[in-house]
Amino acid sequence: MDTQSYLPVQPGVGMQENFLSLDDILLSHERLPIRTECAFPRLGYLEKATDAQDIPQGTKMELPLWLSKGLYERKRRVLSVELPKVYREGWRTVFNADPNVVDLHKMGPYYYGLGSQMLHFDSPENPEIAQTLLQTFIGRFRRNMDSSQNAYNEDTSALASCQ
Amino acid sequence: MDPSEVEFLAEKETVKIIPNFSLDKIYLIGGDLGPFNPGLPVDVPVWLALNLKQRQKCRIVPPAWMDVEKLEEMRELERKENAFTPAPSPYYMELTKLLLNYASDNIPKADEIRTLVKDLWDTRIAKLRLSADKFISQLEAHAKLDNLTLMEINTIRAFLLDSLNCMYKLRSNLLPGSSKGQFTDY
Repeated sequence: MDTQSYLPVQPGVGMQENFLSLDDILLSHERLPIRTECAFPRLGYLEKATDAQDIPQGTKMELPLWLSKGLYERKRRVLSVELPKVYREGWRTVFNADPNVVDLHKMGPYYYGLGSQMLHFDSPENPEIAQTLLQTFIGRFRRNMDSSQNAYNEDTSALASCQ
Repeated sequence: MDPSEVEFLAEKETVKIIPNFSLDKIYLIGGDLGPFNPGLPVDVPVWLALNLKQRQKCRIVPPAWMDVEKLEEMRELERKENAFTPAPSPYYMELTKLLLNYASDNIPKADEIRTLVKDLWDTRIAKLRLSADKFISQLEAHAKLDNLTLMEINTIRAFLLDSLNCMYKLRSNLLPGSSKGQFTDY
């Protein structure tokens, strides 16, 4: 009996973003480390670290996701995006070992959403990133289910295993 | 679905009462409710039984399954089996709560029955969670569970469906043909 007058638009599926979804809008504000492949004349104010008027080619800086996605082109004439720490090899090994111990909220509140959006940037590690996202979700499912459905902060699988 | 909705549906189940008043047969839209004579048992829906009980016009007879030995047997059977055994009644949880709240004086050993039903519920819910966890972790496409009651399904429905939606989104990343920049229609 869900009669609501406000039906929020959900975040998009996989690599899509829903234009009207608030979650996707907030997600796209995350900053990504990028490296410019061409000069940006007179846009020095975007980079707070130096006071130069232009941004020369090859600068490492941070841009939000919505800007990076808009400027990114396959021929890579404008910028190249580096993966944030959480999606790189080191952290991926941690997630494959045990997804339950990681504090995902500290890693940036939109781990799954941002991970799905990173697949837009044609990194050679894309299949591994997608696989790790899925396995992390599956690994954390049990803890999430238990925590959301009862007040014990412990593992309740013992109740079903008494023979 | 709200738990209160499930309880509302449970109130349609019939239970035996012994009225202390007399009344001719009444014809309701949902069905007829047989003539009431003092001292003679009659089958009525639970909603009517609770109403009459609160007005002190009847005595409720506990259903056949609400018995300490029977419930103990069921509890042991449930613990032994890996699958779900048939529940005492399709609405055992709600009926226990309603009858023990309003008519505990008519039901012998009410506290023990409460404990036994709670044990049964805990075991079944734990099995349900184990089953859901296996379903998700092995990425199955299809599962079949027998002998679940509506209240149990209701507890897990929202979480399981949302998780399956999230998994669908993450799995669509793995497909080689996943689209970039398609516009959805609203």
